[in-house]
Amino acid sequence: MLDKRKIRLMTKAAIYEKEYGEEDLKTASYYKKDYTSLNTWVTLIWITVGYVLLVGIVFLCYGETLMDGLTIMKLLFMGAVVLALYLAVMIIYGIGAGNFYSKKHIRAKQRVKKYLRDISRLEKMNKKRR
Amino acid sequence: MSTLLVWKKKLQKFYASYSVYILKGIQFVLGILIFGLINYNIGFMKMASSVVCTIGLAVICTFLPMLVMTMAAAVLILVHFYALSLPIAIVSAVIFLLMYIFYFRFTPKKSWLVLVAALAFGLKIPFVIPVAFGLMGTPVWIVPAACGIISYYMVDFVKGSATALKSADADGIAANLMSFTKQALGNREMWLMIMAVAIGILVVNVVRSRAVSNAWKIAAVSGSVVCLVVAAAGNMILEGRLSYVSMVVSAVLGIVLGLVLEFLFFSVDYSGTENIQFEDDEYYYYVKAVPKVGVSAPEKRVKHITKDTGNRTGNKSGNTEDILLTRSLSKELGIEKERPE
Repeated sequence: MLDKRKIRLMTKAAIYEKEYGEEDLKTASYYKKDYTSLNTWVTLIWITVGYVLLVGIVFLCYGETLMDGLTIMKLLFMGAVVLALYLAVMIIYGIGAGNFYSKKHIRAKQRVKKYLRDISRLEKMNKKRR
Repeated sequence: MSTLLVWKKKLQKFYASYSVYILKGIQFVLGILIFGLINYNIGFMKMASSVVCTIGLAVICTFLPMLVMTMAAAVLILVHFYALSLPIAIVSAVIFLLMYIFYFRFTPKKSWLVLVAALAFGLKIPFVIPVAFGLMGTPVWIVPAACGIISYYMVDFVKGSATALKSADADGIAANLMSFTKQALGNREMWLMIMAVAIGILVVNVVRSRAVSNAWKIAAVSGSVVCLVVAAAGNMILEGRLSYVSMVVSAVLGIVLGLVLEFLFFSVDYSGTENIQFEDDEYYYYVKAVPKVGVSAPEKRVKHITKDTGNRTGNKSGNTEDILLTRSLSKELGIEKERPE
């Protein structure tokens, strides 16, 4: 005889596994602080790479104009601007990534909690039937 | 109006029954359009620009996540650029990498928005983007829209100056690298369109979320008009080559799309609006409640006109359990039939 409650729970669990399962379980295996800081650092490394590429592209675009009549002062000023922008981008993305990954961890943890609750209910039902 | 609502209900039922096939169909059509447009416009590598390749890529991407289609489109563009000139391929790869680093690392599932934005520009209907993105999304969707516009203009620029960009010697490579970067990223028309679309998305999104009657309609119209005005003004100031007829047609299509989206996703009956005021210990509440329009699709009714000559009474007692089970299952699965009168 088919058990509707069991079918519902199994369907819910299967949908969850298909949609989020693998990623959520991996995320939830970290402590929130560890997960957030690790991913924020990874993001900052990516942003550094991206910033270098961006500066390269801008230099390709306006290199000739910038190099025109180059003096030490102008070079220092350009360096300072590039550095200041880099710091600004790093701060913005650092804060943004921190919030983003923290929220992502919280949501994953909540979903995993519900999933595990459904799984334990299923287990109890199976035990009852035996 | 009620006929339309009945159609909507039927459409919803149809979608619920065949959503898998419908979504895959849409994905396939999108793939054909994207890969077809890329191959048609910049098919420098003969092998990759064949019809077989276009259809093959579209079929493969139909069965994979949308992220794969975005990546396949980017790779196809790079392959064609490489066939034309190595520096162009390098600069384009760096630009795609920047898009990934600064935005798509965080929301890879939204990468298909870039394809839609680029496709709208490819089909010369750019102003449907601010309306669609503003109504269905958030202001953050400006970023994928901008990425789509940059990708489109990059392809458009290469298409327009392919012969000039093709160069083999070492000096030519260095010169190409600089001139392509300068011209592709310094394209004033591109920045004008990015600005128009960004302002359009913001306007549509802000108006849509206001508590005014017909907010979606007002948002679609105002977004399209704002885009049109910004683009036309910018075009006049920059002495650009944008066609005013195409801009007006695109804005009108944007408004039509807005009305369609409202009909599909936001059907409300403003005549039944209730303005309620109440309070608790800390706040006064001024609530505006707008009822949704709900129409149930008419069921097919089967009327038996022949005489019922079966031995129903004889079977009744024996099959009661079966009938009850069938009825309860039909009710649960939503396929309950009308009982004959």
